Amino acid sequence: MDSSAELTALVGVGILLTALFLQSESFVGPLVRGIALQSLLLGVLLGWLAWTQQSVDLALLAVLAVAVRAGFIPWVLGRQIRAFRWRLREVHAAQRVTGHALAAVALAIVAWFVFQETLASIFPQPGGALPFVLLVEGLLMLATRTNTIVQVIGYLEEENAVVYAGALFAPHFPLFVEVVVFLDVLGVVLVGVILSIQRDVTGTPEGSALEELAG
Amino acid sequence: MIVTGPPLALYLLLAAPAAGATLSLVPVAGVARVASRLAALVAVAAALGLLVTAAAGRWGPYLGVDALSDLFLFTVTAIYATSVWYSDRYLRAVDRPFLTPQVYYALLSAFAFTMISALLVTDLGLMWIGIEATTVSSALLVVLERRPTSVEAAWRYTLIASAGLTIALFALLLLYTDTGTLDAVRLAAMPPATTLPVLMAVALALVGYGTKVGLFPMHTWLPDAHSEAPSPISAMFSGVLLPTALYAFLRVYRVLGTAPPTSIRDLLLAFGLTTAVVGAFLLQGQRSYKRMFAYSSMEVMGLTLTGVAIGGIALYGALLLIVAHAFVKSAAFYCSGNVLRATGTTRIEEVRDLRARLPWTGGAWVLASLGVTGAPPFGTFLGELLIVVGAVAVGEIWVAVVVVAAILLAFVGVNGQVGRMVFGESATPTVRAPRGADGGAAIPYLNVAVALALGVASLPYLTPIVRSAAVLLGGSVP
Repeated sequence: MDSSAELTALVGVGILLTALFLQSESFVGPLVRGIALQSLLLGVLLGWLAWTQQSVDLALLAVLAVAVRAGFIPWVLGRQIRAFRWRLREVHAAQRVTGHALAAVALAIVAWFVFQETLASIFPQPGGALPFVLLVEGLLMLATRTNTIVQVIGYLEEENAVVYAGALFAPHFPLFVEVVVFLDVLGVVLVGVILSIQRDVTGTPEGSALEELAG
Repeated sequence: MIVTGPPLALYLLLAAPAAGATLSLVPVAGVARVASRLAALVAVAAALGLLVTAAAGRWGPYLGVDALSDLFLFTVTAIYATSVWYSDRYLRAVDRPFLTPQVYYALLSAFAFTMISALLVTDLGLMWIGIEATTVSSALLVVLERRPTSVEAAWRYTLIASAGLTIALFALLLLYTDTGTLDAVRLAAMPPATTLPVLMAVALALVGYGTKVGLFPMHTWLPDAHSEAPSPISAMFSGVLLPTALYAFLRVYRVLGTAPPTSIRDLLLAFGLTTAVVGAFLLQGQRSYKRMFAYSSMEVMGLTLTGVAIGGIALYGALLLIVAHAFVKSAAFYCSGNVLRATGTTRIEEVRDLRARLPWTGGAWVLASLGVTGAPPFGTFLGELLIVVGAVAVGEIWVAVVVVAAILLAFVGVNGQVGRMVFGESATPTVRAPRGADGGAAIPYLNVAVALALGVASLPYLTPIVRSAAVLLGGSVP
């Protein structure tokens, strides 16, 4: 493996480590900082690929990753946390965080093997399994957490995985689609923030109210 | 007025809802309502123009229509128009709405715009953007009535649908990696070899878009959002949003050519049949009539996917079912809105004797429920019958048996409950709802009439176009 591929794989491993960190964390503040770090690493990776491939498209995506995902969105989520301090810790997750972390590691290993057995011959790039594993980790986070902000973080991780896969496997994937993926996250975050504020006004449905959503 | 011939119709289809959304934000009373109605009328006229001229072709690198998109465009714009019309009366009855009428109408038109965009583009990437944008544009509409449960439902909808669509994007990435293009027209004209990435792309697209279609087990957002959304929005969700997401999948499925591999066909059958059966079972025990209709939509989407998997005449049936269902299901939800306004509850056991309390709405509700569940002579009946006939014709007897079982189960469940609410005796003396409460039943009757016409008379312009759309997807009609 040449040094360029080594560096790409190394940053990819860093991204995966942030994903595992997110699974083992129940405090919302560190989770927001964790996803910012992951997005920053993704930006670095995109920047490096842009440099090695002399690709303006990838360079633009690198700037967007850093500005939108590592900067603006974590800033918005951080403001949300400061405004509603009771959300500092996801209580339910705190009780199960060891289970989450173990499940995350187990899933990462399974996803890695599945990739090696099915797609590795088609996508032989070094670290090719990493975006696939990251996608699965994002889905796990979405499925197991209940806090709105933490779910947004899971969604961001899932989309980071798609951008990562796009840069690695299909660097010429239409730019407008990738750009919209970045902007679309803003839409979901905006809806999440509005609903989150409304949740504080109306309260989370419990007991008989929640029964309306049963069945 | 019928606007004929693209590209004018195409531009009008895009410009009208966009202008409707923008003008709705003008802070002058009544402007939002009028602008939205005008936008919807222009959009329907343009879509009708495409439909009657059986417009086909592409304009520029990204815009284009064919029989399939003509059919879906007409359905989407028609339900958009009826929902806009119905909204006025509904909004007036909402106490302390979360959105002002201006924002409500703006989002409603934006929601229609995103669906229309997804149907007008020929690039699978842009189509994905359109489908993803439907979530962002419609999520806040779910919260209109400001209940804690509606906030919860809106968030579940946003999150689950967006997560599913990310998988669909992953599918497009795989497809692009293998074929080097996302041009749906090019891919359909020259289907790529069925390599592992292409097969994986179609399978993942089924899961991704299937989340938005409401396929089991990714359906969990559907009953929540449908039951908590205001009735005009529930009508758009059930009637046209689910089919639009299915349309996006069909475009990806089409890259496999007219004879898809058995593995993918079986996957579609498995998802379709399971969804139909689970939807039919789950609607039985529902306490909320809106939730019951939501599960009924899930059942219909399952049947439609089954028809697509079988192919041949079943595919023709699936497309007819989707169009007719859009009209009757939206009618059922409009009636639900009237009932909710008059009774203040969505609980089935608390609603009785509508025959006396809301005679017009009660009548439309019975008809719509019969239509939704495929009673003859509605278009839904013809569609479901053709799916069963198609399954028998290709020797898939067990598939036909499961489809018939799901249809019967849903028929008994929905009509039994609606029958109880309309004809059941009330424990307390029945008081006819005040004058005006039974108004707004004209729109459900109109939609029921269209679904009836689809079955009885088979609208002269629509039948050939349904046939062309089915042939386009590999189906055949004798």
